[in-house]
Amino acid sequence: MNKKGKRKRKKRSKRMLPLERVYQKRHERKLRSKVSSEKRAIYEKEDAYKETINIALAGNPNVGKSVIFNQLTGLSQTIGNWPGKTVEKMEGYLNFLGYHFNIIDLPGIYSLSTYSLEEIVSREYIISEEVDIIINVIDATNLERNLFFTFQLLELEVPMILAINQMDILRKRKIDLDFKKLEKIFKLPVLPVVAVHGTGVHQLLEEAIELVIYHHPHSHYIEGGKNKHEHLSHDYHLREESKIKIAEERSTLKFFQFPDLSSVISYGKEVELRIKDLVKLIDEYRDYFSQFNYPSRFLAIKILENDEEIIKIFNFDDKSKHIIKIAEKYRKELEDLHGEDINTIISSEIYNNIHNIIEKTVLDYTPETIKETLAEKIDHITTHSIGGYVILGLVLVGIYTFTFIVGDFLGGLVEELFMNLTIPIYATYGEDNVWVKLLWDGAMGGFFGAIGGVLVYVIPFFLIIEILQDSGYLPRAAFLMDRVMHAIGVHGKTIIPMILGFGCNVPACAGCRIMETEREKKISIALTSLVPCAAVTTVVLGLVGRYLGLGWVLFLFIINFSVILFIGRILNKVMPGESTELIMEMHDYRLPNLNVITKQTYMRSKEFIFKALPIIIVLGIVLEIMLIFNLLEPINIVLSPVTVFWLGLPIVVGVFLIYGILRKELTLVLLAILATSMGLTILELMTPIQMIVFCLVTMLYIPCFATIIIIAKQTNWKYALQISLMEIAIALLIGGAIFWGYSFFINL
Amino acid sequence: MIRSMNEKFVQKKGFGTPLIKCLTKCKKGEKTKVIGVNAGFRAKKRLANLGIVPGTTIKKKTEAPFHGPLEIIVKGSTLAIGRGLASKIIVECSEICNF
Repeated sequence: MNKKGKRKRKKRSKRMLPLERVYQKRHERKLRSKVSSEKRAIYEKEDAYKETINIALAGNPNVGKSVIFNQLTGLSQTIGNWPGKTVEKMEGYLNFLGYHFNIIDLPGIYSLSTYSLEEIVSREYIISEEVDIIINVIDATNLERNLFFTFQLLELEVPMILAINQMDILRKRKIDLDFKKLEKIFKLPVLPVVAVHGTGVHQLLEEAIELVIYHHPHSHYIEGGKNKHEHLSHDYHLREESKIKIAEERSTLKFFQFPDLSSVISYGKEVELRIKDLVKLIDEYRDYFSQFNYPSRFLAIKILENDEEIIKIFNFDDKSKHIIKIAEKYRKELEDLHGEDINTIISSEIYNNIHNIIEKTVLDYTPETIKETLAEKIDHITTHSIGGYVILGLVLVGIYTFTFIVGDFLGGLVEELFMNLTIPIYATYGEDNVWVKLLWDGAMGGFFGAIGGVLVYVIPFFLIIEILQDSGYLPRAAFLMDRVMHAIGVHGKTIIPMILGFGCNVPACAGCRIMETEREKKISIALTSLVPCAAVTTVVLGLVGRYLGLGWVLFLFIINFSVILFIGRILNKVMPGESTELIMEMHDYRLPNLNVITKQTYMRSKEFIFKALPIIIVLGIVLEIMLIFNLLEPINIVLSPVTVFWLGLPIVVGVFLIYGILRKELTLVLLAILATSMGLTILELMTPIQMIVFCLVTMLYIPCFATIIIIAKQTNWKYALQISLMEIAIALLIGGAIFWGYSFFINL
Repeated sequence: MIRSMNEKFVQKKGFGTPLIKCLTKCKKGEKTKVIGVNAGFRAKKRLANLGIVPGTTIKKKTEAPFHGPLEIIVKGSTLAIGRGLASKIIVECSEICNF
């Protein structure tokens, strides 16, 4: 409000007469100083109290946790419309209403069991004392599944706010929720949020203050309470008083009293009785269990469910081991009674409870909408057994043609500009001037080469990848490709990191975390690191595409994908274990948010500009120095058996291939710099067959340095090294085969 | 296994039609109820967490060709499930069908 008001005032002052403006300004200054001094006093006092509130965002995958996180912290955590984007918990900070907020974005999970590593990590993190309050983000359009996780969180008895996201979409479907009733049921704050627009996001923080600082779950729906501003968090004077009070109370009231929700979360009679028995046993032994922070009821349920991690806690001494035995007995009784295994029993109990709540709170619910929405129609076409594959093919081809057309056009412009600038510079300073060579040919040549040869391709590429991510197409591709991927030992989900790998292998390899088993993760990483990334694609498009035509580009890509298939098959045979089955949620399509797409494209391109451009400029200068002192020769000669004899490449490219390990686009950029400084075009430097072999080797010969590091981080160094060596061998094998095959035919 | 169970049902109750089948045998757009999941401990737990428990209504939306995965609607959200796993989900036979 304040900011807006200021902006308005400024606008008005522009239109005023000069003298009037002076008066206005003076008046404003007075006013401002009065306000600010008052406020400063408050804030100064507050500084003494300034408290940190630790918030964790938890919820199912793809519900908008990261969107809320970005809205709050202003950071740019990857967001998109597919489950599993957040691979590691991310931390951000913000100051709001005089408090310091520490916000953690957790990866999305479906339950707090021990199915995957993420679930164990999230559970331990939530229960740790680092978290003051959880914001459980819930997708309003998918309430039933999301509340399952909420019910599990409730068992942990950590202060919690329910943020119901995507309310705009739900309301568009003419469905609404009874928030008043929801708050009455859960006895916790329940807030509507539209994260993409930032609606209601800051209310979450207000609510967090109410809960954490004042231990006062505030209800928004007190009758007639609308006129009065009820929030303690906003009342500065009251805050001072209550702070003192709270400081006194703190000694007695140490924790937030979690509301008694037994009427909501209790299960059927048979299960509940046994859980209560177990709780009694655990409570008797509270001294030992209290160190783990888990509530007794949670422990009882999990020991009944035979949770591996919890059993470790109970394996302590005879008395606690005795509880395991009793739990086993109870589990058997229940399983005999219901004829189902214990997880199924408890899950159905929870889903029963959820069903009751949904019946009470979802308003105007029309079960099956008669009219098919546009999103459903698109979904229908894109998963169709023939049309789906046609579209998938078109999408993949479209990525490249779009990038090529835009990049080629802009690249041509940049190149022309560079040429036009070169002529006058050569004319004024002389072509053989050392400084011209260093600064213009080296540094500026590198700069223009990077912009005209790489950046113009990278930006449209990232843009289209972001659109794909945000629209929700990726899970459909996974669905269609599942059968094919099974042939190479993984399931359909692998296609998601692979498509992302077209952009950059580094986040794509990190994204392989969505695979459930270690074996699948390893295979996925190996395959993803072989996918031609944006940098490689620019080399191919900028060299083969520009000088030889798109047909040869296609040829190279076909070779690359055959290699991926081949490696997949081999890894499938070599690696122990079997491939698991696909289980993946398919979220509705949504219109990509322009804001999000431009911002993410900008962030990714910015990374290229700030990380790669300096390297390229410096290397350009270094290259010129090496050329002047003839230092390239020895390195190239050492590499010449491989480059010249085996692959038939010009001797000068040897050192570029080494630079290429750093960043793949360097191979082309440095080649262009060399060509300029030698006064040649690339066509004069390389024959067509050399270009093809050069591009192929660049595509395959090794993952770039950053990718190798991320592979080592995701698995281990040994595996990263194995992948690198394997790829070098393949590149040399195929590159050599093409060269020798070609020379054989020529000699015929 | 399904065959033998169905035969038992048919013998016991004297009906002429089988009563259960696996999810893969459903037609596109068919709506049925889950009877049980005949999978291992971990897969069963995973499916239970996603709401595939006995008694749940399940709608088969579509399936990918060449024995690909199935797209189903459970608890208001769409799931893609590999065919191998889907064949372990046993559902009610709502109409006369061959197995």
